[in-house]
Amino acid sequence: MSEERLWKFRRPEWMNSANARSAGVYGAGALASLAFFAIIDAAVWSKSHWNGSEVHVTFVDWLPLIFSFLGMAIINSIEKTRLSADSFSYSGSGVAWKARVVLFLGFASLAGGMAGGVTVLVLKYIVPQTSWPTLYMGVANVLANGLVMLSSVVLWISQNMEDEYSYNLSL
Amino acid sequence: MMTAGLKTIISLSFILAIGFLLVILSCALFKEYLPLLVVATYVLAPIPNWICGRCADPDDFVESSGNVVVDFGKFCTGFLVVMGIALPAVLAHSDLIRIPAMIMSIAGGLLIYGTIISFTMFFQEEQEF
Repeated sequence: MSEERLWKFRRPEWMNSANARSAGVYGAGALASLAFFAIIDAAVWSKSHWNGSEVHVTFVDWLPLIFSFLGMAIINSIEKTRLSADSFSYSGSGVAWKARVVLFLGFASLAGGMAGGVTVLVLKYIVPQTSWPTLYMGVANVLANGLVMLSSVVLWISQNMEDEYSYNLSL
Repeated sequence: MMTAGLKTIISLSFILAIGFLLVILSCALFKEYLPLLVVATYVLAPIPNWICGRCADPDDFVESSGNVVVDFGKFCTGFLVVMGIALPAVLAHSDLIRIPAMIMSIAGGLLIYGTIISFTMFFQEEQEF
């Protein structure tokens, strides 16, 4: 195991416990919920009487978040053990390669969602020079996409923890 | 570790009643009944965990598909718990409810959810044997 290590720094020991793993999964759900409600908040606020401007949240504002959630679903649907299964014979022909292509699509969708959020913020809110309470809708959009990204990172790390844990246990 | 005696049941039901009181007060004081959704959220929150815990066999460490189902249940539970806090905040931010109503419904919802969690924690110990 130690011969095949890629990174210089070792993962701390406490991260391999079952409690840290479930805390990570709960935290990922909490972050995804925060992201979802950031955009919901912007949409509801847009139609409330606090919003004095003419700018409203439309479908364009939702599109980056849809891509982000799609990317998160793709990334976390992949069987992680298949990614490094090049040398094993049971993985069939090119399963690792296919898994990496799908994983790349997932990451591209996630990054595209983030970039789309920034694009909406710039093109819809900063370029027309809207002032702060209206600008909040664009900021919430970027915030939501960043939280989805953070959530998938946390989920990825905690699912890799799970692999280590079950590996130790099965030995 | 801790025996679930009569005192536990009485104090838990007392806390549950206080939680419901806070949520209902936050609705009735301002004649705006949207914060009642918090109760539904917190009652629904442990259900994905229970269902996915039934579907998967946690003792089976060789097959990793069971753990994925458990993780999905935990993910949904985490989502719903934060939803219970975020929902009153969203409503208050758009001035659909007042700020005191938001504080009361969040506190009441957390009390209700804490009661549900501690109830399952106290009474799961006996079922394991």
